[in-house]
Amino acid sequence: MDSFGNSKNLSDTHIQAKSPYLDFDPAYLPKTSQPEFIFPEGASKQRGRFELAFSQIGGSCMLGAAIGGAEGFYKGLRNTTLEGQTGKLRRTQLLNHIMKHGSATASTLGTIAVMYSSFGVLLQTTRGTDDDFNTLTAATATGMLFRSTGGLKKCGLGGVVGLGIASLYVLWNKRDSLSDFGSQYNPARRISD
Amino acid sequence: MEEYAREPCPWRIVDDCGGAFTMGLIGGALFHGIKGFRNAPSGMNRRFLGMTTTIKQKSPILAGNFAVWGAMFSTIDCSLVYVRKKEDPWNSIISGAATGGILAARNGVPAMAGSALIGGILLAMIEGIGILFTRFTAEQFRPPTFQEAFEAQQQQQNAPGTSSS
Repeated sequence: MDSFGNSKNLSDTHIQAKSPYLDFDPAYLPKTSQPEFIFPEGASKQRGRFELAFSQIGGSCMLGAAIGGAEGFYKGLRNTTLEGQTGKLRRTQLLNHIMKHGSATASTLGTIAVMYSSFGVLLQTTRGTDDDFNTLTAATATGMLFRSTGGLKKCGLGGVVGLGIASLYVLWNKRDSLSDFGSQYNPARRISD
Repeated sequence: MEEYAREPCPWRIVDDCGGAFTMGLIGGALFHGIKGFRNAPSGMNRRFLGMTTTIKQKSPILAGNFAVWGAMFSTIDCSLVYVRKKEDPWNSIISGAATGGILAARNGVPAMAGSALIGGILLAMIEGIGILFTRFTAEQFRPPTFQEAFEAQQQQQNAPGTSSS
């Protein structure tokens, strides 16, 4: 039977059609530690923080606008019902609530994103690498800067909050390699593989 | 700095929103910083306090306005690309005018018309400057026309002794 068998043949024998070029054992391929992609000479091997920055800022702005808009809609509904407003007045009040809360949340989240991105880009360009240390440092600095006008205590608290969120993010990103890390010291898992 | 190309269309909205927000935040921090510094009561300490307070209060608002402008502009631009099936300066000009009009929608029709006019003129100026700039920079990379190349060759043949390149 050839590898491009017709459909009747396939349905009878349940053999998948394969291209002869794909039908080989990948173990024959030479194993290299280098990544199997072609990069232009001298180019960095991943998208840096600068390319991502504007998308991140815009995304957090829009997310903030959506969250704040929903919150404003809920509060507006509650307040207008409590005050017994109806008709045109209620509609305008609702719009005002949505606009006010939406823009406030959007600008807060956007400001945090701008601070984080600029710290991240700065760290990446000064250190020349992009790793988890940059994420943690940028987040801590962002928290401290964002709360810096409220006094030393609030500044430190903001830094701690930023560090905590960034650590959770880094741990979530690293969960695969961390589970591997655990299995090295787990005798039960070691026998199975 | 790496080369920064624009995103494809639906994602361009998020990108432009972020870019406009950043521009507004940094520009607003500079502008309101200077304004707050000047308007504060005398005394260096008070001046810096006034500066930080004004920056904290006013620049996120400006940034938010910028971001809304950018997002609305990009949304209309992408819709126009989808509807008209082409990308040209008219897209930007139309979407600038439409953005100005829509964002002034709650201030009445005369305000809408004025904002739309300003938005359209602003975007037309930006597009015009872009086209002029492209034309001037393209001029120095222009390959010689056939006529010019032919004349240059003839000149070389007429005077073979004096080689000048």
